[in-house]
Amino acid sequence: MKKALILLGCPESPSQTPLAVYAAYKLKKKGFEVTIAGTPSAMKLMDISDPEEHYLTCKIDIDSCLGDLGEGSYDLLLGFAHKDAAVSYFVTFYHILQVPSIAMVFEKDPQLLEEFEKQVQESTGAKIVSARAYHNPTPLRVKLDRAIEEMVI
Amino acid sequence: MSFCLETYLQQSDDYQILLSRAGFKDCAKIIQENAREIVFIKPGEKILGARIIGIPPIPIGINEEKGTIIIPYTKPCYGTAAVELPVELEEIEKIKAVATS
Repeated sequence: MKKALILLGCPESPSQTPLAVYAAYKLKKKGFEVTIAGTPSAMKLMDISDPEEHYLTCKIDIDSCLGDLGEGSYDLLLGFAHKDAAVSYFVTFYHILQVPSIAMVFEKDPQLLEEFEKQVQESTGAKIVSARAYHNPTPLRVKLDRAIEEMVI
Repeated sequence: MSFCLETYLQQSDDYQILLSRAGFKDCAKIIQENAREIVFIKPGEKILGARIIGIPPIPIGINEEKGTIIIPYTKPCYGTAAVELPVELEEIEKIKAVATS
């Protein structure tokens, strides 16, 4: 079975948790075994969002995941790049894994959004799904659907 | 047991934080401004057993005379810090061996 890694950033942005659950659902439907890597606080939000673990079956602490990661450990990387640190984490995971990747870039400040997009674009070959968003995950969900269809057969 | 950078930073007081809760770019700039010697590494390279997180090329400051290095240290909710900490000369050799330039 193909393996996908969903990389969470700081859970401060309200759009991250619903989009992560949605991405796990979409990737599972595409036949992926999905692992979610995040901080303990991000994981608590995920646990409460999917109490029966319909979509979130494999969960791992972000730093443990990073320590054990190697080239090709997963077949697809989908990461949230909505803060400066999240961009750094995504770029680092991308460079270690060297697999097809999707970066979910969002911010309410248009200048920061442009900066994060630029950093991901210049440092990786990832497909970028971006929108000026904070509370409303819908624009990103629509673009994520398209990106997954384009990347995953 | 392998070295844990996070535990070291919590339990030691012989390191210096040059900048904290900042963006990666600002920390990279501080490292380059404060280091006697600079090498660049790829994201995910291990220093002191910990993977270094950042946007390539990642600058690492080296001061062989003082026996210190300056590294960027990133946590998801706290941004990036530039930390100068003492290391053995052997670790400096390891860093130079994986440096891209």
